[in-house]
Amino acid sequence: MDFKLSEDQEMLRSLARDFLTKECPKAKVRELERDEKGYDPQMWERMAELGWLGLVFPENYGGTGATFLDLVLLMEEIGRNILPGPFFSTVVCALPILEYGDEEQKAKFLPQIASGAAIWTLALIETLGGYKASEIKTSARIGDGGYVIEGTKLFIPNATVASHLLVAAQTGEGDKGITMFVVDAHSPGVEVEVIPTIAQDKQCQVTFTKVKVPEGNVLGDVGGGWGIVEFILDRAAILKCAEVSGGCQAVVEMTNAYAKDRVQFDKPIGSFQAIQHRLVDMFVNAEGLQYLVYQAAWEISAGSPSKLHIALVKAKAGEVYQKTCLDAIKIHGATGFTREHDVGLYFRRVKASEFAMGDTDLWRERVAVELGL
Amino acid sequence: MDFKLGEKEEALRKEIRKFAQKELPPGSFTLLLEEESRDEDWKLAMSTSKKLAQKGWLVMAWPKEYGGSAVSYWEQMVYGEECGYWGIPGISMGISGVAWVGPSLMQFGNEEQRKKYLPLIASGEPDGVWCTGYSEPNAGSDFANIQTRAIRDGDEYVINGQKVWTSCAHRARWCWLAVRTDPNAPKKHRGISIFIVDMKSPGITVNPLLNYYGAHIFNEVFFDNVRVPASNLVGEENKGWYHLMQSLASERHSFGPSLYGSARRLLEELVDYAKETQYDGKPLCQNPEVRHMLADAAVEAEMLKLFNYQVTWELTQGITPIYGSSRNKAFGDQLLERLGIIGMKLIGAYSQVDPYSKWTKLHGIIQRLYLLFPGISIAAGTDEIEKNVIGQFKLGLPKSY
Repeated sequence: MDFKLSEDQEMLRSLARDFLTKECPKAKVRELERDEKGYDPQMWERMAELGWLGLVFPENYGGTGATFLDLVLLMEEIGRNILPGPFFSTVVCALPILEYGDEEQKAKFLPQIASGAAIWTLALIETLGGYKASEIKTSARIGDGGYVIEGTKLFIPNATVASHLLVAAQTGEGDKGITMFVVDAHSPGVEVEVIPTIAQDKQCQVTFTKVKVPEGNVLGDVGGGWGIVEFILDRAAILKCAEVSGGCQAVVEMTNAYAKDRVQFDKPIGSFQAIQHRLVDMFVNAEGLQYLVYQAAWEISAGSPSKLHIALVKAKAGEVYQKTCLDAIKIHGATGFTREHDVGLYFRRVKASEFAMGDTDLWRERVAVELGL
Repeated sequence: MDFKLGEKEEALRKEIRKFAQKELPPGSFTLLLEEESRDEDWKLAMSTSKKLAQKGWLVMAWPKEYGGSAVSYWEQMVYGEECGYWGIPGISMGISGVAWVGPSLMQFGNEEQRKKYLPLIASGEPDGVWCTGYSEPNAGSDFANIQTRAIRDGDEYVINGQKVWTSCAHRARWCWLAVRTDPNAPKKHRGISIFIVDMKSPGITVNPLLNYYGAHIFNEVFFDNVRVPASNLVGEENKGWYHLMQSLASERHSFGPSLYGSARRLLEELVDYAKETQYDGKPLCQNPEVRHMLADAAVEAEMLKLFNYQVTWELTQGITPIYGSSRNKAFGDQLLERLGIIGMKLIGAYSQVDPYSKWTKLHGIIQRLYLLFPGISIAAGTDEIEKNVIGQFKLGLPKSY
């Protein structure tokens, strides 16, 4: 048992913190919310140069061979600073390619991702907005020497700038009939529309009308797609929670600083127990979430993921993020309610992160199942 | 980073399980503070202490020369978890002696005191049972306000005053007593000293204070011209406050792992109960609200586990976990409270039944927990005091009281 980061991890963390503070100040975050693309291509190139885009890939695919836990530490920094753009959506597709792709697919797709040339996103959920196999109505039928995809996907992040889509579609029936396809985002019949969201984070509706996909673009086995989705969900949930954990830490820190600085009744408001105890609760919950994330991530890195430990984290993160941000706004008073204050940037991302990769109810139910209920 | 315990720790876990299954009567599960209440509970606690001592577990953290086994912090943590899980009584003989008198004597007692008192505690005998005299009628959370006086008279000190909420005073052979030795000190926490007092001394009166459901856990203790040898002063005169701040961290730290162990056990019992109990033609476990409540409690139990790991890890790094101990105590209290409430909800109408009656469910653990948890959360520092510690020492916020 050891709570200490390795020297390399410390270095990754401090480099990431420096880079993000410098390259992505909050003014930039706000600018990218209004920007059509929702990310900065130059920053993206620099992230590729830093090795972030291929962080966990082996060197022969252009990566740096880091662990899943390292990636989690990077996501924590990304959440702490807020980095708009397709980093998460790309990584979430890269992991299953690394795990389930054949040699040809890996050699083709992974180096493009690592170099920053390709942007990916996962086209999984549909109109009901949930992560259940039964909700997948998008179909893929055999025809024309490949497959033809028809259907509509919702809440697909960064699809406007994606070069590749990883699509879950029905090739049969039920969860045994789902197959994962790599789809060129510029294929005829793919239509993308941005959904205006509170987080202004470029989630999209993607419509597939007779979209042709070559047979070689099936990832894993035909009908084995739901297993891949489960693989993705477990890892992506932890990455998302790492982002949330970083966000919580940032919000607690800015609120603590404010409580020491802001004077009312001739005293810093942090000297009032009503404020101080609220801050303590925020801090302790954020810290607990951080350890839950580390434990699940370490276990994944060590090759022994725990379904219970993964589910616990995603069942908790949404609630912690929401409470942390709400309390932070209250402690800041009216200042926290303004457009200029950073706390609102975080609060506006609470729901996006809760619904990404399965909401609290879904993961809480998984906890119940793992408990034997 | 590494989230796996070693083989030694896992082996110890198994050995404790074997011990609990062999030595405890069927259905026995003792919660914190319960052992000193009824005579039959105390008898079981003391006979178990003796066995724990023979196993080398009772004071396992202590150096070998004082009767301990000098085991690692990780083994101590696992021991705490398992004792909480199995509800093993007698693990600290009324808490004080094992949990902080011993460690404090090793920190700031003298060699003579260590030689005399530590082996008594380590042996698991009744002569190793301690109570702690901190709180007074006007000194609860504001502990530095104590008024009980000790005045030097030749080779002795003469003690006068009153202590209150003194757990285990009716069972204890010794009292770990905080008194005022300098009433003129410029600040009230600078005039406090610690004494070892023989509970058989003339002038000591112990009056039971029954708690709100009639159990006898704590007492009021009066000191009327009680004469104590000067050699019973522990540490430096008037430095007691500073000595105690250190030992309070040990006291609070010792709660975390056993609170987690108890929580995990209760959770398992409640999961089993929900599966076995039919309600309205369906097992209780199919009720979404039940699933929801138990899952949420499981998340918090996991957080407490990791908080304990983190504090234990800090100890291995030579860091005094002042903040972490307070966090774990407050968080553990909150979790037990939650489990008590959930448990009462699950057992429904049976939640009203006397825990020792034949109608009770789950051996009465749930009602006992429900009744006890307000006391557990107050003992050794209220939640509010713990939050003050966290706010001041971790978040660097100004003093709030």
